[in-house]
Amino acid sequence: MEQQALESNIELTKKKSYDWMQHKYLYAMIFPGLLYFIIFKYLPMGGLIIAFQDYQPFLGIFGSPWVGLKHFSRLFTDDVFFMLLRNTLYLFGLNIFLFFPMPIILSLMLNEVANKRFKSSIQTIIYIPHFMSWVIIVSISFVLLSLDGGLINELIAYLGGEKISFLTSPTWLPRIYIIQVIWKELGWSTIIYLAAITSVDTQLYEAADMDGAGRLRKMWHVTLPAIRGTIITLMILKIGNVLNLGFEHLHLLINSMNRSVAEIFDTYIYTAGLQNGQLSFSTAVGMFKGLVGFVLVWGTNKLAKKMGEDGVY
Amino acid sequence: MIKKWKRFAALTLCGSALLAACGSGEASSEPGNTDNNDSNNDTTEESNEPTQITWMNMLHTASPPTDTVTNAIEEYTNTELEFQWIPDASKEERLNTALASGNLADIVTLTILDNSSVRNALKAGQFWDVEPFLDEFDNLSQITEDTRRSASIEGVLYGIPFQKPLARNGVVLRKDWLDNLGMEEPQTLEELYEVARAFSEDDPNGTGQNDTTGFMDRADLKYGSFKTLATYHGVPNEWKEESGEFTPQFDTPEYVEALEYMRELYTNGLINQDFAVTAKTDQQEGFAQGRAGIYVGGLMDARNLYTLSEGITDDMELSQLNKINKDGSDDYAIWSDNNGVGGLLAFPKSEVSDENELRDVLQFVNDIMDEEVYIMMTSGIEGVHHEMDGNTSNRINEDLWQQEVQPFASSRPKEIGYDLVTGDELKLYSDNLILENEEIAVLNPAYSLESTTFTSQGSELSVIIEDATYQYILGDIDLDGFEAAVERWYQSGGQQIVEEYEAAWAEIN
Repeated sequence: MEQQALESNIELTKKKSYDWMQHKYLYAMIFPGLLYFIIFKYLPMGGLIIAFQDYQPFLGIFGSPWVGLKHFSRLFTDDVFFMLLRNTLYLFGLNIFLFFPMPIILSLMLNEVANKRFKSSIQTIIYIPHFMSWVIIVSISFVLLSLDGGLINELIAYLGGEKISFLTSPTWLPRIYIIQVIWKELGWSTIIYLAAITSVDTQLYEAADMDGAGRLRKMWHVTLPAIRGTIITLMILKIGNVLNLGFEHLHLLINSMNRSVAEIFDTYIYTAGLQNGQLSFSTAVGMFKGLVGFVLVWGTNKLAKKMGEDGVY
Repeated sequence: MIKKWKRFAALTLCGSALLAACGSGEASSEPGNTDNNDSNNDTTEESNEPTQITWMNMLHTASPPTDTVTNAIEEYTNTELEFQWIPDASKEERLNTALASGNLADIVTLTILDNSSVRNALKAGQFWDVEPFLDEFDNLSQITEDTRRSASIEGVLYGIPFQKPLARNGVVLRKDWLDNLGMEEPQTLEELYEVARAFSEDDPNGTGQNDTTGFMDRADLKYGSFKTLATYHGVPNEWKEESGEFTPQFDTPEYVEALEYMRELYTNGLINQDFAVTAKTDQQEGFAQGRAGIYVGGLMDARNLYTLSEGITDDMELSQLNKINKDGSDDYAIWSDNNGVGGLLAFPKSEVSDENELRDVLQFVNDIMDEEVYIMMTSGIEGVHHEMDGNTSNRINEDLWQQEVQPFASSRPKEIGYDLVTGDELKLYSDNLILENEEIAVLNPAYSLESTTFTSQGSELSVIIEDATYQYILGDIDLDGFEAAVERWYQSGGQQIVEEYEAAWAEIN
């Protein structure tokens, strides 16, 4: 019995190595991709070492003095850290709870549109904002929201209200942020959901029809469960980007008055590292951010698997 | 078909290899001028091959200059120049990445000497100490001891200091509006406030509409209105030094007065309500469009404002003021930007490898300080951009000047002590006021002192105060809130800066 198991085991390894040989060209095709990841993604990670040094470009990685966890202890004892964490998590929460469900709802609605031409023209129109850069979107909102002759404030004043300092108010920053995100990315984010919806077996709908289900029932009991896997995968990917809230976007929105709610890890790393030249400290901040992102993806993936979904790996 | 494709690929590959070879050839043949240029007699060795010089330089205009002026400078100095322009708005990140990656040029313009990575790079010896060489050159030897010391870091001069006027700031306002309202030029802060009020409320442009404000400011506490108005209130320039004791400017009662003044202006609507998010171009355009009547900033901006207004606000007349204070006495003050040192022209050891090469580059810097080159970089080429009339230069082509000459203005290593006079009335007026400012300029007593904490955390700490200042002016926090911010500044490292400056001061005095 044991003998047999052993043999089949050997057989298996043999078969495996044979497999490998047979598909060697396919494997060779992976090679450029692997090389890309090694050179551009893994090798630069070596640079993280400067988070434990007082790095000075002139002295180089090998000449700069080692300081151990100095930069990390500075980060964790600084008030700034909690501000960054709070702001990052808050804006991330807005992204997950306000923004994330929207494209799902929109694609369900688009799916119900019977007129093909109408549907595809709507799709084209809502994809356009995705191709605008943040500079343009923020500039447009600037012009609309300014206190000195901005359209919306003029309207408020005309209607007898009091002008609102949208651009310098900490309360308005998160709202403006999420509205801009929705405006820009909503349409584009529906693409994958729409693709997933088209692959739903039409027999299911027919069966539901037979059972007398209306449109809403079909949406709820057929379409949504069918794209559940897609939703969860996208959710995990989104969470992987938890701390990448869009440096460019917030960097453009930030100013002295709303810094207390707008400063996130990315903008802080930019100011501390690239502008003020504290390369080691900002590397430490970046490293922490990366670790948090990693833990979140790993955790969500675990959770997804527990719930019987596929996960991303 | 496949063959053809292969041939094409081979050709492209060869081509790019060839190009690459050219590229590296160019790089390696770079400064290679080994002739000994010890003497600065430019008569004997004029027949030399031109020296090749690369210059990483700041660009304060929208686009880099065309070759016209560069060619003239090359000819005069017997060099071949290659500029790498860094837009002023992104200077921090560009310089920091350049320093970190070692991607520098023979000459690097460093205008942000208090930036910690720039300072660290200088202190680490990434650039040449030029002081021993200065006396070999005509113009460089003229740099005064004071300037040399101000521009030094821990006693070492790591480059040729930009010699700028001590203080250039003042108030520019609409003379025609004053006349419409029958008002005099303000001489005290109170009068200035009254002018601002009248400009906002009394319809200075006679349109019958409430479409003007007093001040047009921008999101810049230093080069915008705030710092200048603060010196009018008697706020020291960054630091107050009293018999060896240092106090930061924001911990003085005068600073709070200045805050209060700005807050009054803001809450009463005498300043553009979004000044805290306004960019310089928007500010100047707003002024040029006649939306406001008072501009505080560089006096030389009067000329730009006027040029901008042409075709939009045709009847604009501008007054320039540099003497305003609290009580109308004879006691005036204006803050000095970096004590008249506009930064350094530094020479990285990685590019300029030995003393001979350094002498070549210094020779070039020395040469562009000659009056001839100064005129080229200020007014342009005679007959193309301007005409000379004695010492007076009259601009003949404004657009061409803006394109081809203006970008060089900020690259002049020396801007004072020349005979050249401008024929432009507004400009001449501001030049004279700037000269007058020399006598009332308030220096920063800590400018050349060394503080390691300031070097490493200074810019970060200043954000605390900057934010609090804005928040106070906009009414988001009260005096307690501001004092708490000052306290936080002391706690997070400010106290150390004070102590380090005091120690450094005691060592010298």
